Amino acid sequence: MFSSCRNLLQSSLRARGTPKSFSTLRSSTIPTATTSRSRQIQQRFYSSSEPPPSQAANDRTLVGIFTPKAAALFVATGVGLYFYFRSEKQRLLEQRQKEREVSMVGRARVGGPFTLSTHLNKPFSELNLVGKWNLVYFGFTNCPDICPAELDKMGVVIDALEKKHGRVFQPLFVSVDPARDTPQQVVQYLQDFHPRLTGLIGDYASTKAVCKAYRVYFSTPPNADPKGDYLVDHSIFVYLMDPEGEFVEAFGQAVKAEEIVERVGKEIKDWEGRVGMNL
Amino acid sequence: MGWFSSSKPEHPAAASRQGRTKCWESRDAYFACLDSIGVVKAGEEGKACSTQAVQYKENCAKSWIEYFNQRRVIADRQKDRLASASTYSAGASNRTIS
Repeated sequence: MFSSCRNLLQSSLRARGTPKSFSTLRSSTIPTATTSRSRQIQQRFYSSSEPPPSQAANDRTLVGIFTPKAAALFVATGVGLYFYFRSEKQRLLEQRQKEREVSMVGRARVGGPFTLSTHLNKPFSELNLVGKWNLVYFGFTNCPDICPAELDKMGVVIDALEKKHGRVFQPLFVSVDPARDTPQQVVQYLQDFHPRLTGLIGDYASTKAVCKAYRVYFSTPPNADPKGDYLVDHSIFVYLMDPEGEFVEAFGQAVKAEEIVERVGKEIKDWEGRVGMNL
Repeated sequence: MGWFSSSKPEHPAAASRQGRTKCWESRDAYFACLDSIGVVKAGEEGKACSTQAVQYKENCAKSWIEYFNQRRVIADRQKDRLASASTYSAGASNRTIS
């Protein structure tokens, strides 16, 4: 392809030597076959490979179209297009990079290492977040009404999205009441919610640490009897962590289930497009 | 646990949905009664609503009762504030029209 292009170019460049215009050149080449053939041979003098005579007629018609001006135009357009596409590609790459940076900058530094155990006494750390979309809620079992409502909402969101995407979620309930939320208590509590909901429990220090990492405030009243009847004040958010265990979004109490479904659904789609696979 | 411990656990309602629902229902009944006599702050109703009050205390943990009662007062104050804000803005818009 390239070499035949070069041949054509050479022949047309040679034709440049004659000061004839397009129409006169055409009229002079067409009348006699012999002159045009000898001209062809002459033109081919510098080309590396001699074309077989049978192609000469074909070449002649091509040369007829391929005037110096057209050649120059052809080359200019080709070069122009090449640089245009190259710069366009560069621009697109830069734009994509910028978008990625913006989305990374826009992300809050929420999450990080933690060590807790599940309601079934298995160790659970931030590494266990990897491979699933995680919806994380911080609460306590003696929570009057907000926690159960939020956990129900989480179940609705999961059911709605898993219909479309399959089993992609890992729902988590992190207790902010280490004194009273024993594994036994949490096991009983979780029975009323999503069947895959995992309860996470730790001692006071590890609970404090995970809450700090997730920017969750919690406060047990001072002088509270560890076995007594009290409420734990805490921030109310459902966190979305992606399959790499990175924070994506926090949903407050006012955000409706449908809104969360829409937002999380978009995240899943974006992630699948970016990573090129489904979970 | 022993002979001297009470048979009623500290917070019976919390761990099960059934217990929670029962508490919420008796709370709603009690608050509806307070509404009917125009009382906002629980405990200021005198002898009225005593049946509902007993049920409420029976079915909800003390901490929950305190929380719900407090929230009722706060919600009422917010309602007042919203109402006054909307009347103010309505007045303001009336002024601009006239």
